[in-house]
Parts: sequence; structure tokens; C-alpha cells
Amino acid sequence: MNAFLAVLWKDLLCEWRSRDRLVAMLVFSALVVVVFHFALPGGAGAQTRANAPGLLWVATVFAALLGLGRAFAIELENDALAGLALAPAERGWIFLGKWAANVVILAVVQAVTALVFAVVFEVDLLPVLWRFAGVAALGSAGLCAIGTLSAAVAVRTRFRELLLPLLVLPLLWPVLSGAVRGTAELLESGSLSFEPVQLLLVTDATYLILSFLTFEYVLDE
Amino acid sequence: MSVPAIAARGLEKRFGWAVALAGVDLVVPPGSALAVLGPNGAGKSTLLRLLAGLARPSAGSVEIAGRRAHGREARAKVGLIGHETFLYPALTARENLVFAGRLHDVPDPGPRADRLLAEADLSGVADRPVGSFSRGMAQRVAIARGLVHDPPVVLLDEPFTGLDRRSAARLAERLAALRSERRTLVLVTHDVASAARLVDSAIVLARGRIVYRSDGRAIDALCLDRALAAADAP
Amino acid sequence: MIRTSGAALLVIAALWAWAVVAAPVDSMQGSVQKILYVHVPCAIGAYLGFLTTALCGALYLRSSDARYDRAALAAAEVGVVFCSLNIASGPIWARGTWGHWWAWDPRLTATLLLWFIYLAYLLLRAFTDGSERTARFAAVYGLLGAVAIPLNYFAIQLFGGAAMHPENLRRGSLGEGMGLPFALGMFAAAAAFLHLWLLRIDLEVRRVELARSLASGGEQ
Repeated sequence: MNAFLAVLWKDLLCEWRSRDRLVAMLVFSALVVVVFHFALPGGAGAQTRANAPGLLWVATVFAALLGLGRAFAIELENDALAGLALAPAERGWIFLGKWAANVVILAVVQAVTALVFAVVFEVDLLPVLWRFAGVAALGSAGLCAIGTLSAAVAVRTRFRELLLPLLVLPLLWPVLSGAVRGTAELLESGSLSFEPVQLLLVTDATYLILSFLTFEYVLDE
Repeated sequence: MSVPAIAARGLEKRFGWAVALAGVDLVVPPGSALAVLGPNGAGKSTLLRLLAGLARPSAGSVEIAGRRAHGREARAKVGLIGHETFLYPALTARENLVFAGRLHDVPDPGPRADRLLAEADLSGVADRPVGSFSRGMAQRVAIARGLVHDPPVVLLDEPFTGLDRRSAARLAERLAALRSERRTLVLVTHDVASAARLVDSAIVLARGRIVYRSDGRAIDALCLDRALAAADAP
Repeated sequence: MIRTSGAALLVIAALWAWAVVAAPVDSMQGSVQKILYVHVPCAIGAYLGFLTTALCGALYLRSSDARYDRAALAAAEVGVVFCSLNIASGPIWARGTWGHWWAWDPRLTATLLLWFIYLAYLLLRAFTDGSERTARFAAVYGLLGAVAIPLNYFAIQLFGGAAMHPENLRRGSLGEGMGLPFALGMFAAAAAFLHLWLLRIDLEVRRVELARSLASGGEQ
């Protein structure tokens, strides 16, 4: 548990000092939203509004992939990853610390992205703000669980920036399914059924537990 | 007969079909100091990393104070000071040490970090980011990091490399101090002279095997030199 | 072992082929329906492959025995082949019955994703240096992938939606005389998987041996 808090604090502190990951993710996701606006025929029409949840989550996933790569790249400098592996702690807690830091950083990016999105695509998030935040958090939890473990693996392979999306994207379907569905329901009808939330909870729990247990083997040399 | 601090039996490590360690048997009694010498690629760093519990052996066993090295109890007893510093350049010296302390379950990491920094003569720069340090300074923080949890076994991988005379002398003093604290030391080095002065016994590794042991006799620098020359030969 | 599985495969495959030819032609769909006798068994092969990969990976993590890793690799490769055949044969049937090659319904999407997961697994292996690290990383990813499959199906169940893909087979849902070829097809798929898997493991053992002797021979 000490290890979890220590890693979380360390990651957030490192990020706060340089803020490079955060800035890159913010700029990137804002760019993606704007590019979507250009790329879609008819701009902010009704058709686009129907696709809005999907587009929002695609932008989030792209930004997350960018940030996740960096999360472990900083551990390569000075072989800090070995420094983590030396700890006598249960290694799963180290994973959770990194996961939590990723979730926090992604949350900031998600908030700004949602804002940009609401403005550019004329979508009204205010009436459903808290429930939307809940769905966003659950989606981010699953995305970061898969992403953190995959990034830890990818960072010690060749072509790590290329491999990370290849590893993460095929596994994401249940998370995206639940998150997009939940967001869509909120935007269309203002209400949220239990199914998407249930899917997200089950998926998140499964991936978190599995990652916690297998991180032991990922930190070995 | 106390439990040896370090005990390796038939230790092997393979990477693919490259053999890094081809069967190493080693016993290091608690409180003693061992130097590990040998040409590049002999397996010295691999041996150290196996002792530190960073990787599983391909065959054989390695134990720290009777516990499997690749386990949580053993890792709590070992401090590794490697080629790399394991430090985060964006964090200050103090923050790096506090983080390492928390990671190693040190109860009050803040004061401990301050004390270690004072011992390393770095109190003045405790709040500067490690990224701005010189090599010698970073090395001193790395050593403090390795010692933050007060480990009875300390492993050092070529700590003298790249240090100037003053830093090297300071490091030698530090090592002597560690020895007087009755810690078990394993020192990988190319420097035969320092090795002979600082340790009780020495081994020479070549191509993954031990080819020379001083075996409890006083270290004869000449014998060591000869063994190294033989090991270096193709 | 390989000879036995090969012989068994020949026998079962022959029976299956006969049953497929002898099976009645579907009144509504015509003879294109018979592609299903290939399509469904391929799905079985793909699932067997993936489960085996995940299981062998887990066993490798516990024991660090390289044989489990070879078995996992072999299962993944054979599984990819079956999965590819599954995805290729489906549209042949679809074109003949629905009128178009593809539909983005949940079952098809989930199978396509399974194929991508396999591919990512193989790419991960290719891009990782060091056989021990490769085995470990692949085992971890194999487990993640294995978890993804039931989650995918859970997602399908929750969001049902317009599923164009036919429901799973139930007793009595097939027409007269179609039960036997389907059942034989399942056995044929299992036999084919087993045989190909054993062959691939053997090939891997030989490849490693050859590489090892070349490497050590080069030093002398």
C-alpha cells in the first residue's frame, strides 16, 4: 500500500514539474476534435451529434495512448524501472500507483476535451454533467488499466510507440462499448441505464485484478 | 554456523541461447566483503542483478540470508548501487530519497533522507533537481538511495567508473565506513588496487564461470592480476 | 504422438468430408449453406487456439518452463490460421444469403477483434528481444486477451441490438440431416487443431536446436 501511494505521488510530482505529458495530451486531443470537425461532412449537424459520443471517446483514446507511452518512458531514464523492481513491495501496488496517476492526468485531459467538444459540436453537457463524469471516469479506469499494463510491456520492446496502440486497441472494445453507449444515452435521453455501467464495472474490475496479479512478471528483467 | 549472507548454488542465467552465467557457486559470510572482477561480458553485472532479485535464475539457486533472492523478504535486505542511478531527474535529491524510502517501507523517510544527504555532504543541494547534478554528485545520491532502507547486504556495480580522484577517494572512504558497520559487501570493479585494499576476498569471472577465488587467503594483487590477464585472453 | 494425431485427423476429416457432401442441400439457402460446415469448425479451432495460448502462458509464468512457451506460440499461430479462415469463410456465406459481404454486428466484430488480439500477440513476440522476456510478456498479453473474449460476449449480450449473425446452434435448430456433418465438423476441427499444434511445436523445437547449434558452432 505504501508503494501505491509512493508511486502515485512520485508520478504526479514528476508530471507537475515538467507538465510535458499533460500539455502534449491536451493539445493533441483539442487538435483531434477540431480535425474531426473539418473531416466530417456537414460539421455540427444532427448526424454528427449522433456520432458525438464515439468521436469524443476516440479523441480520448488517442490522447491516452500518447500519455501512456510517456508514463513508462520516464522510467527508462537512469534505469528507474529497475529501481521500482528492487522494492520489496507487492508489485501489483506499483502498477496501481501508475494506473491511478494515469487516471488523474487523463481526467484533466478529458475535462478539457469535453469542453472543447461541447463547444465545437454544440452539445449540451450541463444537464448530465455528473453522470457524464461518472461514465468518463469508469471508461478512463478501464482504458488506463489496459494501457498501463501494455505500456509497461511495450516500453521494453522495439518500436514501443508503434506497439502500444496495437496492444491496447484490440482489448478496448468492452470499455469503449460501455463508455460510448453510456455517453450516448446521457446525451440523447438525459438518463443512464444500468447496462453500460455494469459492463464498465465488470470490465474494469477484471482488467485491474488481472493486471495487478501479472505485473509481478512484467517488472522482471 | 550462521546463515551465509549470500549463497549461490549452480547459478545459471541464459538470455536466449547466450549464456551469461554458466554455473556459479558462491558463499559470502555475513559482514565480509567480496570483490568480483573479470573482463567485460563475463557476467559480473548479471550476477549482481540476480543477487538483487531483479531476475529469476535460469537454473540453480541464489539466496540472501537463507531466502530466495527473487522474493520480497530478500529484496528488503539488499541495496543495489548499479551502473545507472535509478534517480528521477525532475525530482530533487531529497524527493528521490524519500520516494525510495517509501518504496522500501522505511518508517520515517524524510529525516532519514536528510541524514543520508548530510553524510554524503549534499545537504546544500538537497532541494535541487537531480538532473542538474554532476556525475559524482548523482553517484553520491545513488549510494544514499541504495542505503535508504539500511540493508545488511550492499551490492555495488563498478562504482568507481567515471569518478575523479577526489570522488573516488570519497567513495573508498564510504565503502570502508560501510564495512565497519558490519554490512556484507559485493563490489564489482575493474580496479584491482582498490579491490585488494577494500575487501576480504575476491573472485574472477570469465565467460560466466568463476575462474579464480582468493578463498579466504589474503588478497594477493599479483595473483589477481595474473588471473585477470588469463581471463582476458581469448 | 504426431503420427497418431495425423492418422486420427485423416480419418475424421474423411468422415467429415463425406458427411458434408452427403448432407442435404438447404431448401432456402442453397448449396452455399454448406460453407457453414467449414466456417463453424474454424471458429472452434480459433477458440481452442486462444484458450491454449492463454493456458500455456499462465503455466509458463508459474514454472518458467520454455516448453509451455513453445506450446503457447504454436497454439497462437494455429489459432490465427483458423480465425482467418473463419473470417474469410463467413462472407462467402453472407454474400450468398444476406446479399452482402459483411455486417458490423457484435459477433462478427468480436471475432475480428479476436483476430487482432492474436495478431498483436504475435507482433509483441516479434518485437521483443530475448526469449525469456518474450515468453513472459507474451504470456501476460495472452492472459489479457483471453479475458477480453468473454468480456466481448458479455458486451454483446448486454447490447444485443440488430444481430444479423445467426444464433448459436441449439438442438433442433438445424434442419434434418445437418446434425451429423456439424458434429463431425467439430471433431475434425479439434483433431486438426491438435495435429497442427503438435507439428508446430515440433517445428519450434527443431528451429531452436538449429539456431543453438549454429550459434555455438560459430564460436568454434
